[in-house]
Amino acid sequence: MKSTRHHLIDWAQAGRLEPGSLERAFEAAGAFPDGAAWLRFLDRLLLWLGALLIAAGVIFFFAYNWNDLGRYAKFGLVELLVVAALAVIWRLGLETLAGKVTLLAAALFVGALLALVGQTYQTGADTHELFSAWAVLILPWVLVGRFSALWIVWLGLLNAAVTFYYVVFGGLFGVLFAPDRLMWVLFGLNVVALLAWEGLASGRADDRWAIRILATASGGIATALAMFAIVDFRHAGGWGLVAWLAYIAGAYALYRRTRPDLYVLAGGVLSIIVVVTTWLTRALLTHGEAAGAFLLIGMLVIGMSAAGGWWLRRIAMELQS
Amino acid sequence: MNAASDALWARLREAGLVEGDVPPDAVHMPWYVRVMMGFAGWIGALFLMGFVGAAFAVVYKVPASGLVIGALMCGGATALFRAKPDSDFFEQFGLAVSLAGQGLMGYGLGSLFAFDVGTTALLFALVEVALFLLIPSFLHRVISAAAAGASLVVAATDWGFYHFTGAVVFAAFAWAWLNEFRLIRRGVEVRSFAYGMTLLVIGQLVMLAGARAINDAVLGHGRHAIGGAAAPWIGPIVVGIVFVVVVWRLLARQRVAPGSGPGLAALAGALVVAVVSLKAPGFGVCVAIVLLGHAHGNHVLSGLGIAALVAYWSWYYYSLEITLLEKSAVLAGAGVVLVLARLAMNARWPRAGAKGAGDA
Repeated sequence: MKSTRHHLIDWAQAGRLEPGSLERAFEAAGAFPDGAAWLRFLDRLLLWLGALLIAAGVIFFFAYNWNDLGRYAKFGLVELLVVAALAVIWRLGLETLAGKVTLLAAALFVGALLALVGQTYQTGADTHELFSAWAVLILPWVLVGRFSALWIVWLGLLNAAVTFYYVVFGGLFGVLFAPDRLMWVLFGLNVVALLAWEGLASGRADDRWAIRILATASGGIATALAMFAIVDFRHAGGWGLVAWLAYIAGAYALYRRTRPDLYVLAGGVLSIIVVVTTWLTRALLTHGEAAGAFLLIGMLVIGMSAAGGWWLRRIAMELQS
Repeated sequence: MNAASDALWARLREAGLVEGDVPPDAVHMPWYVRVMMGFAGWIGALFLMGFVGAAFAVVYKVPASGLVIGALMCGGATALFRAKPDSDFFEQFGLAVSLAGQGLMGYGLGSLFAFDVGTTALLFALVEVALFLLIPSFLHRVISAAAAGASLVVAATDWGFYHFTGAVVFAAFAWAWLNEFRLIRRGVEVRSFAYGMTLLVIGQLVMLAGARAINDAVLGHGRHAIGGAAAPWIGPIVVGIVFVVVVWRLLARQRVAPGSGPGLAALAGALVVAVVSLKAPGFGVCVAIVLLGHAHGNHVLSGLGIAALVAYWSWYYYSLEITLLEKSAVLAGAGVVLVLARLAMNARWPRAGAKGAGDA
């Protein structure tokens, strides 16, 4: 959907507006925010930044591990914060944005509480246990909150739990040198999340950003799996390429036909360019004449991206009309 | 053509700003498609540079030859862009050839001037200015504007003006966006320059952590920063002044008198941001990006500003040399102030019947 701003700028550039009248056209079209729009914007900005700063302040406070404050005082403090946040939510209601943002803050306070438990009692728990316990504990809130940002935070916790699990059990070197197992799990997790979101949210327009985050995460990992399969074929096997191909085909079917989304398609084009370039580099540059290979690959990259641009332009035109 | 553009056109016709029928709808390519194309063009350029390096070893032996081959590539790219301005293939081909040519010219200039950083950067900036003026591609112009600005920053840093570069780039950024609608015949140039400056202003914040180290280790050559003890303050003061001017100009556009309630609240908020910017100049910069984006109906810009604000704030507190306890107090305190400001704003101007514009 083309915005008012882009319509006006295009018309001005095409010479259809009088010189010097673009600002008046913006005013006449209501494209400049009025007083009420400014207040709404500042209201959200102050709410979000305020909540984030307070949550960050609370987490830093417990990270400091202040010795002058007894353990019960610390527990009391963080529990008080959780209860206070819940009281604010009770008063504001979960339908308001302020209520939802406060719920997000409460979910972050729970993380501080769990970190405090680990810090105080030296439970020997691993980092992945902290993240998975955190995700499990706040799940009921996430379910009743019906708030995209909270879901994304929750999925971030799951990703962190999985990553730290492999860091502990595979060892840091295991993750660095044989990252494919971790990547496969993260790939599966984010693809399932993306599909579940598409299935359950069924085309709600206001949380496309969340879908795009999930598509970026899962598509990025799919691309990395394919690149690993190409660069280290004997070790990784060809399954990375198979998964990538399936992902690209699925993304095309879903985001070209069922729920057109230019962002995901543009990401798909970039993914294809990167994977094909990796394959060509491996096939042509490791043996043979370098200059010719460089030129050939460079021209193919240009050709692929130009074709991709042309295709995306056609879809943009289609979506616009 | 669709219902939305028809309705918009009708509104403008009523206001007497346009005549005739609705023009055919031009395609709008969203920012992420442009970013994707730019990134792909950059990958293509790397391979083209590899080709030139492998085929003509002379480039790395005789400095002037890199300069000549690079200039020829940039010239060829310019001709392509001008001959086929609407072709997807030639735009992408021209972009990659031009980027590769710029890389070779940069290398050639650097070797020719025995890596005298200031002179090399200044000459490279002139090349970028020429490409900005000659190549009629929005994406290329954004890249050239950012590259020209970055080169000038490097040159100025080398000459000892390090402390002022951030403020000057911020002023250029603010000027470009505030004049977005004025120079209508040069709209493409102004807008691409504005986006280039936005990238540069954010890039400078990213580089902030390393900039001082680069200045001392690589660029300094023992030259002292000009301005003496006052120098570190002059830049942030200019940032604060530019920020207040931005808010002032936006109020004028909203037709809010500076002496009215909303006007005073906005200016007081701007002053607070300016004062905080004395210690953390990136704060004023990021808030200005957010405000200008919202004021111009440009969601890409305001989104970029919010992301930059969160990232800058995180980095700032991470790098601040105070204990976690003090950091926690400052962060939570600032958060409480923002929430209170929000409550005060909503109490003073209940949104249902709000007329004025507040700014903070």
